[in-house]
Amino acid sequence: MSFREKTAWITLITLIVLLLFYLTHLPPPWWLRANPSGFMFHVLTIGVIAFVVIELVAYAIMALRAPREARAPSDEREQLIALKARSIAARVYPILSLGSVFVVIHLGANEGGILYCLFLSFIVSQIVNYAARVGYYRRGR
Amino acid sequence: MTQTAITNSIRKLRFEHNEMTQQDLAERVGVTRQTINAIELGKYSPSLEVAFRIAVAFGVRLEDVFSYGGSAQGSRSDPR
Repeated sequence: MSFREKTAWITLITLIVLLLFYLTHLPPPWWLRANPSGFMFHVLTIGVIAFVVIELVAYAIMALRAPREARAPSDEREQLIALKARSIAARVYPILSLGSVFVVIHLGANEGGILYCLFLSFIVSQIVNYAARVGYYRRGR
Repeated sequence: MTQTAITNSIRKLRFEHNEMTQQDLAERVGVTRQTINAIELGKYSPSLEVAFRIAVAFGVRLEDVFSYGGSAQGSRSDPR
């Protein structure tokens, strides 16, 4: 498994953990009229910080184990895989975010509810991004 | 899995060149070992530049390494 495939796996798993953290601490439909500056803000902040810390630690460990691979730039196949995966995620995000915001507005959500949907859509689209990368790496192209 | 229509004789050429490993070839060409493996198995078609670099690494012509739609000399992956 190449260095970049390993990092894709790590990011994918970390994003799934972040999603589960997000859903368990801010379960629907509580967030429909949430105060964005209150509990929700703290959950988002903790989630993002935890995500960054886990990523940094995992990447640092992997870079120490394979320093040459970590320093080497992405080759053309890795760049192509990243581009194709980002392209898929770029289609998922607007559909999810606009669709979810449209639905929750009709359910009577406030700005907290809309923020919740936008952030959730972003996490899901990034999960799609990294899941696609892993899939392309496994297939070989 | 989908195979490309481009066939190659990279594996054969590696063995003919002092049993060069995929890692050795990858370092000479400037790609990862996994990319060389994907090219050998016909799962990935390299760019023209990488294809030329592979040919230069073996000291042969491009058409001695890759062929399109027909069988390259000793290729592993056959076209459909």
